[in-house]
Amino acid sequence: MSFDGLARRALDTAAARGSRYTDIRFDVARTERIEVRNGVIAALADGTSSGYGIRALVDGAWGFAAGSEMTDDAIDIVAARAVSMAKAAASIARTPLGAAPDRAYVDTFATPMVRDPASVPLGERVALLLEAERLLHVGPEIAVGRAWLDLWRTDKTFYSSIGSRIEQQIRQTGSGIAAMAVGDGDAQTRSFPGDNGLYMSGGWEVVERAALRENAARIGEEARALLTAPQCPSGTFDVILGGSQVSLQIHESCGHPAELDRVMGWEANFSGTSFLEIAQLDKLKYGSEKVTIEIDNAMAGGMATCGYDDEGTKSGRSDIVRDGILVGYETSNDTARAIGRQSNGCVRAQSWEFVPMIRMCNLNLLPGDVPFDNLFDDVKDGIYMESNRSWSIDDRRLNFQFGCEIAWEVKNGKRGRMLKNPTYAGMTPQFWGSCDAIGDDLAWFPWGTPNCGKGEPMQVGRTTQAAAPARFRNVAVGVGYGA
Amino acid sequence: MEPNVREALAKRTLAHSSADRTEVLVSYENAALTRFAHENVHQNVAREDAVISVRAIVGGRTGVAQTNRTDDAATRDVVERAIEMAKLAPVDPAQPDLPSGAPTATPPGAYVDATAAADANARAQMCGEFFRVAERDGLWSAGYASTAARGYTVANSNGALASFDGTTAGVNVKMSAADSTGFAESASTDVRVVDASAVAETAARKARETKAPKRVEPGPWTVILEAPAFAELLAFLGPHFSAQSYDEGSSFASGALGKTLLGENVTLRDDYAHPLALDAPFDFEGAPTQRLSLVENGIVRSVVTDSYWAHKLDMDNTGHALPAPNAYGPQPRDLVMMPGTRTTEELIASTKRGILVSRLWYVRTVDQLQAIVTGMTRDGTYLIEDGRLAGGVRNLRFNQSILEALRHCELALDLHRSTTYGYSIVTPAIKIENFAFTSTTEF
Repeated sequence: MSFDGLARRALDTAAARGSRYTDIRFDVARTERIEVRNGVIAALADGTSSGYGIRALVDGAWGFAAGSEMTDDAIDIVAARAVSMAKAAASIARTPLGAAPDRAYVDTFATPMVRDPASVPLGERVALLLEAERLLHVGPEIAVGRAWLDLWRTDKTFYSSIGSRIEQQIRQTGSGIAAMAVGDGDAQTRSFPGDNGLYMSGGWEVVERAALRENAARIGEEARALLTAPQCPSGTFDVILGGSQVSLQIHESCGHPAELDRVMGWEANFSGTSFLEIAQLDKLKYGSEKVTIEIDNAMAGGMATCGYDDEGTKSGRSDIVRDGILVGYETSNDTARAIGRQSNGCVRAQSWEFVPMIRMCNLNLLPGDVPFDNLFDDVKDGIYMESNRSWSIDDRRLNFQFGCEIAWEVKNGKRGRMLKNPTYAGMTPQFWGSCDAIGDDLAWFPWGTPNCGKGEPMQVGRTTQAAAPARFRNVAVGVGYGA
Repeated sequence: MEPNVREALAKRTLAHSSADRTEVLVSYENAALTRFAHENVHQNVAREDAVISVRAIVGGRTGVAQTNRTDDAATRDVVERAIEMAKLAPVDPAQPDLPSGAPTATPPGAYVDATAAADANARAQMCGEFFRVAERDGLWSAGYASTAARGYTVANSNGALASFDGTTAGVNVKMSAADSTGFAESASTDVRVVDASAVAETAARKARETKAPKRVEPGPWTVILEAPAFAELLAFLGPHFSAQSYDEGSSFASGALGKTLLGENVTLRDDYAHPLALDAPFDFEGAPTQRLSLVENGIVRSVVTDSYWAHKLDMDNTGHALPAPNAYGPQPRDLVMMPGTRTTEELIASTKRGILVSRLWYVRTVDQLQAIVTGMTRDGTYLIEDGRLAGGVRNLRFNQSILEALRHCELALDLHRSTTYGYSIVTPAIKIENFAFTSTTEF
């Protein structure tokens, strides 16, 4: 479907009403959610949603309005509303914040797929989940088994008053399983893959890669075993974190504090600010020299991979932390200009009805050179933890506490008995400063997060933080259970 | 979208269905929010949309489809997609018939014309109050002013038909000084009673009063959680009262109906008609919602159900269904903690040494069955000494069982509706003994 005529109408209406710059983003989205819970279908849903969001810039202030009626009259109303929002913002502004992009693109992008999920019969998708969930029930202790599948198909067309016209077809896919065992006054959960499932951009090949059926029985066994596993001890230990847990650590303690709008205070009343400051660029020691974290919004399989962000900036790579030093932020056009840089394309909107804003996108801890098994070599008394269960960090992203589903003792380089309820805590720069080994390429994986929340109104973002398992020294373990 | 338009749309959609049973939910929203930081509006947003969701049941198999298009072709298509999905689902032997609904009465005051009519200039005026106070006191402000009109209609092939319209208006601000912050919020169905000036003054006062925060040692402390902080804890207790969690064994209340598990001064209700709540009197299946005590004088009295779980557990349908598809089970919607007898000021005055907490942040479950949660304090954390507020303290992390907290507590008299993180919970402040702070942060 071509939106050229409606787009032209919106841009002209906004200009006539006083907008100095306008963009309009059309989304046509289709989603599918299948969830099996204890042998029955808890969700089998197909949703469609289409509409447009218009941004208008007046006297350095932004306004945004969204609507779903695809008619000239309706789009006139929405465009006018966007301009009136901008004028209202301008009327009380102390300084002009907004700046129009200075580059236009005419281009297309489509997520590479090996196999379109639409080519897999729905019955086959349902059957896979039913079988995987059935295999979780290894005994009566398994009170809840779950298997799920998410498919997101979004076709976006972006137009701007400076001449951009960008068409993109984004395809994201995810699936997972989880088992909850209940017994003796305890409840323990195991999830796979990772803690949320396996989420990537791409098609059915992502579900095949998850290998749900092949791993279900093991996950059920581990959930059951956790009921009688000893409690993870409390104290100071060397800690090895599995790849998906490192991914979440990056997400919470680097990705969010590095959002420049957060640094500038724009999220202060809700998800907080940041311990990072603009003046610290190229100076602050964020972590050990092993730690290099970069954005790559064009990477294969990244949940946030696209050709252009939602204000029309081309995707690419840029550094956030290089050899332990803070060297960049996640930026938008406005915020990047405020620090004398170019946007690195980190603007996303959940869907047509939400305003685009800075999001963590694909943010990756580069792999090290240590094979996974060798991470254990130099650990005399440590804990290896996998799969996140709880996550909490203060509103400047310093004091954190995470819990995992499962852990194992590490004694003299060897993995030993299983432990339950492992938690660990720390302060962000000290924690990353204690990272002395990162797994190699073979252990590195683009873990997707399908449910990152930010903004008011709240928006859900789909992000990736690629990571390998990593080792950290002298970490406080067992907090919340007696530490 | 007026209720009569939604009802006509719902009936038209129902008429397309050949399923054994069909449920149609038409949801409408017209919402706007003005967001600011450093005395500038950085997001000024508005959206309007209607969504049709169809649940089709065919031979005990269920499928759901949704669309935001309302033309005839779209309503036919969404029904066909729901039926197609249903035909591929396995039979669920526990799937009951849909509710047939019953007359309900919307609490007066749930919808206020003035709120629905509030425009960008009205929100800008409210924000202007925050800017004025911030500039007057040498602070900077961040927050929002929002107004929204929402409505939904549920209709099904068993004759249920129910519509609800409501409005919400809210402001939320954090005032920041050099080394301290303060927070305040206000929400109502009526924009005219939302006093941005008063909210600005409260947040500014907290920022001023907590400057140069001292570091205190973590450990067990007597704390007073103001209502927004207490609401955040209760938000993590709410799901324990789902019949699904109760049955599956993941609730503290599993197997414990009728048992005393909390303090005898604790009565927790789910009440859509509370003057501070004013929510819909029916659920998303069109079943009437009961106003009930989840906990009464410390005794666990009820869990909430929907048609599925009421049938499965042979309980009454309490009318707490969420929109389909729903894998979470029924959930409480309007938690109300009944108050105590002393005001928050009297609780402070009765505290020899303690900490007053304005707000919490990033609360997450650490242990499900013990309801242990962790989180941080933020935006106005005070030391209490000899019954008086004695300046600010650096924020602290806690690891606390909500159940233990509610066994050794005193509830304040004054009630407040909190909407900070997207929920609506009515609570007083609460004084808790031996609240477990486990670490501090640097601010």
